[in-house]
Amino acid sequence: EEKYTTSISKGLTSARAAEILARDGPNALTPPKSTPEIIKFLKQMVGGFSILLWVGALLCWIAFGIQTAQGVASAFDNLYLGVVLALVVILTGIFAYYQEAKSTNIMASFSKMIPQQALVIRDGEKKEVPAEQLVVGDMVEIKGGDRIPADIRLIFAQGCKVDNSSLTGESEPQSRSCDFTHENPLETKNIAFYSTTCLEGTATGMVINTGDHTIIGRIASLASGVGNEKTPIAIEIEHFVHIVAGVAVSIGVLFFIIAVSMKYKVLDSIIFLIGIIVANVPEGLLATVTVSLSLTAKRMAKKNCLVKNLEAVETLGSTSIICSDKTGTLTQNRMTVAHLWFDDQIYSADTSEEQTTQSFDQSSQSWAALSKIVTLCNRAEFKPGQENVPIMKRVVVGDASETALLKFAEVILGDVMGIRKRNRKLAEIPFNSTNKFQLSIHETEDPNDKRFLLVMKGAPERILERCSTIMINGEEQPLDRERAEAFQTAYMELGGLGERVLGFCHLYLPEDEFPDTYPFDTDSMNFPTSNLCFVGLLSMIDPPRSTVPDAVSKCRSAGIKVIMVTGDHPITAKAIAKSVGIISANSETVEDIAKRLNIPVEQVNKQDARAAVINGMELKDMTTEQLDEILINHSEIVFARTSPQQKLIIVEGCQRQDAVVAVTGDGVNDSPALKKADIGIAMGIAGSDAAKNAADMILLDDNFASIVTGVEEGRLIFDNLKKTIAYTLTKNIAELCPFLIYIIASIPLPIGTITILFIDLGTDIIPSVALAYEKAESDIMNRRPRHKKKDRLVNEQLAVYSYLQIGILQSVGAFLAYFTVYAEQGWLPNTLLGLRVNWEDDYYNDIEDSYGQEWTRYQRTYLQWSGYTAFFVSITIQQVADLIIRKTRRNSIFQQGLLRNKVIWVGIFSQIAIALILCYGLGSVTALNFTPLRVQYWFVAMPYAILIWVYDEIRKLFIRQYPGSWWDKNMYY
Amino acid sequence: SPPLPHSDTSSDEGERRDEQEKHKEKMGKKTLADVIQEMKTFLWNSEKRECMGRTAQSWGLILLFYLIFYMFLAGMFSFCIYGLLLTLSPYTPTYRDRVSPPGVMIRPYLHGFTIAFNVSEPSTWTPYVNSMHHFLQAYDDNVQEEKNIECPAGQYFVQDGTESEEKKACQFKRSQLQNCSGIEDPTFGYSTGQPCILLKMNRIIGYRPGYGTPVSVNCAIQKGNESALKSVDFYPGNGTFDLMYYPYYGKLTHVNYTSPLVALHFTDVKKNDFVPIQCRLNGEGIVNNVTNDRFLGRIIFTLSIGM
Repeated sequence: EEKYTTSISKGLTSARAAEILARDGPNALTPPKSTPEIIKFLKQMVGGFSILLWVGALLCWIAFGIQTAQGVASAFDNLYLGVVLALVVILTGIFAYYQEAKSTNIMASFSKMIPQQALVIRDGEKKEVPAEQLVVGDMVEIKGGDRIPADIRLIFAQGCKVDNSSLTGESEPQSRSCDFTHENPLETKNIAFYSTTCLEGTATGMVINTGDHTIIGRIASLASGVGNEKTPIAIEIEHFVHIVAGVAVSIGVLFFIIAVSMKYKVLDSIIFLIGIIVANVPEGLLATVTVSLSLTAKRMAKKNCLVKNLEAVETLGSTSIICSDKTGTLTQNRMTVAHLWFDDQIYSADTSEEQTTQSFDQSSQSWAALSKIVTLCNRAEFKPGQENVPIMKRVVVGDASETALLKFAEVILGDVMGIRKRNRKLAEIPFNSTNKFQLSIHETEDPNDKRFLLVMKGAPERILERCSTIMINGEEQPLDRERAEAFQTAYMELGGLGERVLGFCHLYLPEDEFPDTYPFDTDSMNFPTSNLCFVGLLSMIDPPRSTVPDAVSKCRSAGIKVIMVTGDHPITAKAIAKSVGIISANSETVEDIAKRLNIPVEQVNKQDARAAVINGMELKDMTTEQLDEILINHSEIVFARTSPQQKLIIVEGCQRQDAVVAVTGDGVNDSPALKKADIGIAMGIAGSDAAKNAADMILLDDNFASIVTGVEEGRLIFDNLKKTIAYTLTKNIAELCPFLIYIIASIPLPIGTITILFIDLGTDIIPSVALAYEKAESDIMNRRPRHKKKDRLVNEQLAVYSYLQIGILQSVGAFLAYFTVYAEQGWLPNTLLGLRVNWEDDYYNDIEDSYGQEWTRYQRTYLQWSGYTAFFVSITIQQVADLIIRKTRRNSIFQQGLLRNKVIWVGIFSQIAIALILCYGLGSVTALNFTPLRVQYWFVAMPYAILIWVYDEIRKLFIRQYPGSWWDKNMYY
Repeated sequence: SPPLPHSDTSSDEGERRDEQEKHKEKMGKKTLADVIQEMKTFLWNSEKRECMGRTAQSWGLILLFYLIFYMFLAGMFSFCIYGLLLTLSPYTPTYRDRVSPPGVMIRPYLHGFTIAFNVSEPSTWTPYVNSMHHFLQAYDDNVQEEKNIECPAGQYFVQDGTESEEKKACQFKRSQLQNCSGIEDPTFGYSTGQPCILLKMNRIIGYRPGYGTPVSVNCAIQKGNESALKSVDFYPGNGTFDLMYYPYYGKLTHVNYTSPLVALHFTDVKKNDFVPIQCRLNGEGIVNNVTNDRFLGRIIFTLSIGM
């Protein structure tokens, strides 16, 4: 131990500790490297449509430069437009950055938990120091309930047990002593690992590794080496951006060429190009998507799903396979008595989370005897001061089985501690692995009965060996072969349920042989331990959570495959899988079929078996192809006895099937699998920090059912994003058409670039966010998960329906308003055609209209702005109709209800209010190009708005009436 | 108990993952040939007889659908426009608030408001003179006498009767412009460095300028030395637009209407310099000081006469 220059009794000196601390750094895991803030910010500035808008802005400034050089009076318009475009990019960038930072902060706050303290011996004194300041060579004291502050070599241990489940996945407590038992540090008994917990006992040890050098630290750094997969929604949005950018650029270039070949000046053509880009790019959309996602994230947090990464919200919705842990996620993570066997009969016990009574038949004398053994032969105790806490929630000192028995007894008998006091314990042999039993000797509470009671519990076969009689209905009867067989049958049956079975027996010691003062000695065992009376069996299991079976069946109807991955024994795993419905009641495994048909396993046609229980050892020897085959052929799969490393292999196997895989995990060693999964789900209560770090989502209540709620929310947000995008894309055509017609037909420009920005970033923002509040359509959990590659967020139908149908309808409506405004001022439609060059001539101040009146340039410009405003108002009015039709994709609006989503109405009112303010409030600000519009022009496009709504209702009606028809295929988006 | 993670197995697995990822990357990258092949299949898939992902029948249906859809839209749009036109009067636009008060223009007009010429070089001023002659053709005395009637001066020429009735127009003879008529001096003074410029008020249907008092014109240096412009002569009268030429009844019924003019004869302008001149209309209801519209009730032009 001199290697660490420490002293076992005195510990390190403070000075030396400080020195080592300086050398090794603090005892904490380094968080994964994060991207510098400025890079994150710049990424937002150039991502998505920003590049396109930057190009637009740049073109504006080039146009401005050339025009100023030529001395054109209106050159400054382009400068302003460029500045506005740049501002739009920067503002949306800042907004997106802010959103991201906010969601990162949520996680950051989550990981900053209360600093851990460690009891350390330094300078010969015991001291509490923050665990972070531990250094190699420190002497640390640990007691039951502590988290191990570093990797520690034990020097002194007393009944010390640790829970290594977060490291190795074993749920059984491991005992720890100071003996060196194995070469491998992970196997040896004298090392306790960082981040595991000490369950009971006390120990003193020396720190041998700290921080990233600990075993956990090494695994955690392995996890950060596994690359993050791109989230499906990120891929979808990228795909969508590509589509829109492609349309924008190709239309832009096409019309640039058309304009040039129509003998427009190159500079004018560039300005058209800018207009087309601005019209085509939904500037506000990406911000809207972010807001929608974060709204859903908030909603999910309320439902106990904390989303670390916004895009994960949707990933969960497209999940097609869930690889779930058993312990804690599907089950309650506590042993509970499930069955009893006494009087030759099996009784079931209530295993639900909130049990207050047990309803099996308790009248038998055998039960009285059994309950006494359960109560007395038990070392577990409630921590004091929990009288008002429900029994099931009380904290117990003791191992899982004893805790289960204690709580079971407390529920039925009440005041176990009181009973124990009245039946004073005289001697005790704790459980150990050689004896496989636990024994204690008590005085009885009956003052007339001077006999001592010897109670024993342990592995059933061992207990039975020690018995010669068996209690039936309170009577001791000889344990003959028939009785023994009955015992075997019951034992096998309970074991077959995957339950841990304990046997109980007792013996009243004869008064004459064992008088009051008899000195019981547990070392020499000066009392009988055979020919006892067998009383009964109790079996325990970690029961499934009550909400899980429902959630699993929901998953099934939603087309999601649930795979159980556990470190437990296959029998237990299968039993739990059956009870929660992961393996449905009527499906069989290959082994089941073999057993039923009485043929060897090899002869069974694997296609016949729907279910499969795969052992970790089998998995180890499998090739990738074999694993793929299993994943494809069986719909109900349980992986048992798997190591967390194998979880990664399973996840990869699922991903090869093009599935979107969600993986739950809590241990540190789960983190590679969590990272690899499309969506990693860490447990909030049981989860280790490393798992939480690697995960995309944290289940605050560790409950599988919350995942299903999350799936529903994820699907909803996907649907709603589709609606939002469809809504937003529609008006892009109404913004684009004016430019195209302006170029081709040479009419005065119907809508200006600035005005378009006011739609994209003004009137349309709140309504598109409002669609995120839309309730689910009826079929949301009854359809298959979306196929990652086939079911796109923006599919052909959506684009075509929005662009070529509703978009064109809107354009026509808006053009009607435009022509109306001009015609009523004296410019009939036929006069407008081909008018552009004269109209825009700054020197031509006496152009004749259709009536012979003469207009100055500015009078025309003002009229042009009125035209912009009319066009703008018409788009707004029709967007209201568009918003209403986008509420549903299949159901009628009346089925969905017009009033259920109140936020939509907020959206509609905001839209109209913003339009009113722009038109009448800011109509006098010339730079904005709005003019106060005559009231009647607000209603010109109204028939088209109604037409949009009626047409969409007809579309939905046909989709519902003729599923699978040509109409359905081409019109459903 | 489940197998415990040995450090060596985990590194093995790490390597395997790396390999798989590399493999995946290889699979992910398509060669150019693949892309071209894919495009070809997309354009014409001979197996399924599909062009761009649709069979001929599918294309036929979708095109038919859009044909019907757009024809319906076109029909509805035409119907709406037809309805709109029905509500409009062919004689008077529904609103005239955007076109009034009137703007002002000048002749000669050769795209721009700088009239620059050199007296000694006729080629520099002939275009202006031609423009004036061309413009004034409609004002030739015989044309006016033939088409239009003489009206009583000093009062609006209001013609009652139905809207559709053809309206008479008052004579505005070129000779009224006297020195600037181009009759005596066909060069409108350009050859002597005393150019004439004609000022025209924009036509507005039903507009009665000055509300009973004729609108007059005055000119001044826009900015700079006042002495650059010593004298301007105005024809006819004192540079007023006589009331009898108003109101205007519109192109359809007021066929022979000729806008009244005011000629500005710049008899003494500083030579060999750019002289910015602003001419304004003055009268009740006339607006001539809006910053945004430099042609509303006024006009600014530059004279540059070289000797």
